[in-house]
Amino acid sequence: MIYTSINIKAEERILDLRSISLKSKKDVRIFTEFLNSRDLEMDDDIDYAIVLEENEKIVASGAMSGSVLKCIAVDRNYEGEGYIGKIVTYLLLKAHHENSDHLFLFTKPENEAIFSDLGFYGIAKVDGEAILMENMKNGLADYLEKLSQKKVPGDKIASIVMNCNPFTKGHLFLIEKTAAENDHVHIFLLDENRSLFPADVRMDLVKKGTAHLENVTVHHSGQYVISAATFPSYFLKDSERIIDAHGRMDLTLFRDRIAPALGINRRYVGEEPLCPVTSHYNGLMAEILPSGGIELIVIKRKEQGDGVISASRVRKLIARDDFDAIAELVPPATLHYLKSPQAEPVIKRIKGLNT
Amino acid sequence: MRIVKRGIAGTLESSDVMITVSENTKGGIEIDLKSIVEKQFGKQIRTVIREKMEELDVKDALVEVNDKGALDCTIKARLEAAAYRAAGIQHVRWEEK
Repeated sequence: MIYTSINIKAEERILDLRSISLKSKKDVRIFTEFLNSRDLEMDDDIDYAIVLEENEKIVASGAMSGSVLKCIAVDRNYEGEGYIGKIVTYLLLKAHHENSDHLFLFTKPENEAIFSDLGFYGIAKVDGEAILMENMKNGLADYLEKLSQKKVPGDKIASIVMNCNPFTKGHLFLIEKTAAENDHVHIFLLDENRSLFPADVRMDLVKKGTAHLENVTVHHSGQYVISAATFPSYFLKDSERIIDAHGRMDLTLFRDRIAPALGINRRYVGEEPLCPVTSHYNGLMAEILPSGGIELIVIKRKEQGDGVISASRVRKLIARDDFDAIAELVPPATLHYLKSPQAEPVIKRIKGLNT
Repeated sequence: MRIVKRGIAGTLESSDVMITVSENTKGGIEIDLKSIVEKQFGKQIRTVIREKMEELDVKDALVEVNDKGALDCTIKARLEAAAYRAAGIQHVRWEEK
C-alpha cells in the first residue's frame, strides 16, 4: 500500500474557473471572506474578479482594477499546484483582449519569486512591506529614457506633482514661485483619468497657463508618478495602513528612479490642511525624499478673499454658476475653457455631484 | 508576415509556454527568453524560435517567451499562433506537413 499517497496526489481535481458577479451580494461576500482568510482586503475599485472553485469552494482568486492585478491568492491547502499561474494567465489574456498589456501588481516581498516566474519585474521596493512589479521588462527603463531626454542642466532643479482639477491661480502661484527660486521646474501632471476634468484638458490648461515661464517643463506623470499603479489609494478611500504603504512605494520610486533621470533635487508642495490622504503623503515626503538628496519645500497656499485658493473651492463655485467668483480664482485660460461649450459635460457632472 | 500588434498565445501553466510576439522597432528577431529549463534547453528553445520565425517569414519581431517546460512542438504551435495574431491574420489555412 505504498502507493496510496501517490494515488491521492495523482487524482485529478476538477476545478471551475468563473467570474465573480460584483453585483451579487452573495458572490461579493464569499469572495471577501476568502480574501480575508488570506490576509487580503477587497477594494472598491475592482473591475472584475475571478475564482477557481472546487465543489463551490474557492481555492484561488484574482482581480483586475484598471491595469493593476489585485487579490491574487490561493488556499493554503492548494499551494504549489500552479493555480496562481492559471489565475494570472486568465487575467493577462483578458487584459490583452481589452488592449491593456502593461500591467502592475503590489505584493509582499516574499512573493516576489512567484510573480517573477509569471513574467513580472520588480520596479520599487519598500523594505519588509511591499514590492511593486510590472510585466514589461523595459517599462520603467523606457519611461526614464524618455524623461532623461528632457533633462536640463542647473544646480537647482525642482519638481512639482500636481493634478490641477482644474488649474487655478493657486497652482500658478506655486509654479511661479518655484520657477523664480530654481534653475528649472519639472511639473508632473497626473495622467490618470479619474478626475472630473479630463487629463488632456488639464494638460492643455497647465501648458497655456505656464507658457510665459521659460524654465518650466510639463510632463505626463505616466504610470510611474502617483498613478493608479504606484499609488492606488490616492484615488480610493483606503485604510491608513494601505495608504501609508502605497505612499511609501510611490515616493521610493520617485526618489530612486524618477528624480535621478532629470537631476531633480527639490520637490515643492502646497501646504495641505484639509485632505487627510494628501496631508499624510506630504508627511511621508519629508521622511523619505531627503535621503535621496531631494529637499522638500512646503509652500503656504495663496489666499483669495476668505480662504486659500483650491481646486475644490473652484468646483463648488462651478456648481453654483458663480463665474464672477471663479474669475478671481483661476487664470484666464481656465476661465475661457469653463465658459466654452467643451466644458459643458464636465460642469454637468460637477453639478451632479454637488446636488 | 509583418508584425503589426501584440499577439499572445499559451498559458503560464506547467508544461506550457506563454509567448508574446510584438513589433520590434530596433529591427530583427529579438528573443526575450525566460524558462525554468533555460540552463538545459535555452539554446535549443532559441533555435526552435528562430527556425519557426524564418519558416513564417517574419523578419522583425520581439518575441517574449515565458516557458514552463514546454516541448518543442508546443513551443512551435504557441509561437505560430502568437505570430498570426500579431500579424492580424485571423483565418489561417493550416498546412499539412
